[in-house]
Amino acid sequence: MKHSPWRKFAVGILSIAIFNTGMVGTASAAIADTASLVTIDRAADMTVVRTHLDRADVRAKMEEMGIEATAVDRRLANLNDRELHQLAADMQNAPAGGDAVWIVGAVFIVLIILELTGVIDIFKKT
Amino acid sequence: MKKRVAGLAARFIFLLASTVLLSACVTREPFIPAHLPAGAQSSVELAATPFFPQDKYQCGPAALATVLVASNAETTPEALVPVVYLPARKGSLQVEMRAAPRQFGRLSYPLSRHLESVIEELAAGRPVLVLHNYGLSFWPKWHYAVVIGYDAASDKFIMRSGKKRRTEWRARTFMVAWHNGGRWAMVVLRPGEIPVSADPTLYLEAAADFERGASPADSRLAFDAAVQRWPGQSVAWIGRGTAEYRAGNISDAARDYATALRIDPGNVGARNNLAQSLLDLGCPTRALEQLRAVNTDALASPLKEAVLDTRKHIELAKPSTLVGEPSRCTSQY
Repeated sequence: MKHSPWRKFAVGILSIAIFNTGMVGTASAAIADTASLVTIDRAADMTVVRTHLDRADVRAKMEEMGIEATAVDRRLANLNDRELHQLAADMQNAPAGGDAVWIVGAVFIVLIILELTGVIDIFKKT
Repeated sequence: MKKRVAGLAARFIFLLASTVLLSACVTREPFIPAHLPAGAQSSVELAATPFFPQDKYQCGPAALATVLVASNAETTPEALVPVVYLPARKGSLQVEMRAAPRQFGRLSYPLSRHLESVIEELAAGRPVLVLHNYGLSFWPKWHYAVVIGYDAASDKFIMRSGKKRRTEWRARTFMVAWHNGGRWAMVVLRPGEIPVSADPTLYLEAAADFERGASPADSRLAFDAAVQRWPGQSVAWIGRGTAEYRAGNISDAARDYATALRIDPGNVGARNNLAQSLLDLGCPTRALEQLRAVNTDALASPLKEAVLDTRKHIELAKPSTLVGEPSRCTSQY
């Protein structure tokens, strides 16, 4: 239960927060960001609604994961709230493209042989 | 226990041996010819695509630099390490790969899961960043690579990957790794470019994300292209209107917002922005007219505040009668 709020907060967010600053920083400030007006269908099946996201949570987590404090700020500044939620959800387990070295070359080669020879067909359903 | 392990090993060897034997008699359909979109060349190689050999674990920065520099942005893998590399994961996350191009005045667009869209982008001259998985679903080994070409005749893809400047992959091998990686692919776009297979919602979402940090001129290019391609999309007009507004071209902005409202009369965001533009043009009465019927109680919080704010500004300008407003206010929008 200790970890589940993190997961939960990560999993579903109706992106009301996407409105972000809400305004474009121009002289007359009441113009709504286009981002706030784009309908994002995938938000529809999300269940947890959080109107306010504490960027500090993500910041702390990123520092914990080895990023320097100064770099963290710049990184988070580049993300909108939807992406921030995504990042929070992804940090622990989502794909993180890393090494090209085929540590698992043997597994992959077997997979390829099985696929090439028609023993398995991973594309069957697509 | 030993027996069981031995039995498993024997089965495995038998399976492997039989597949090797089988390979002699099974031929599978080539991939690329079957997924070649109409009009695409049968062979493409974007040989001018730069190459950055990756350091350990850092295929994310290297692959991203490859597609960014290919789109004429100035950067290096070293400069991208603090932008997308996550030390504890020894890799880079997709969400940050998608977000990073904005810092360089570029949009990123997520391609569909269909191989056709990858081929189409290559045929249009854009290298494609892909995520591969060389492991298994429960034991993944993720890797980013850049596809720079294909050849239908030999059924091969050409990539910049890892430490290899040019590597040819059989299409089926490529597909196994791409499929197991979730068929994720993205392209980097200069403002004004739209992928061949683009979906309007996905593109407009990318353009809206781009708007926040972009110059009004770049933002205008991105939305203007959308207006040309999908004139029926209200968000495209709103985005172009906001770019005009930020550039100080208020009457152009008002025209675009008004067009968006003709397409989608219930779009309160467009109505709010039109009202603000009309106010700036010295037409407070017309501005108020736009928002009079809007029920703010029914709006979600951030938009609600924007409308209330606009109304407040309008009230300060003391709208009176339509007759009293300058002639430029009449019925133009």
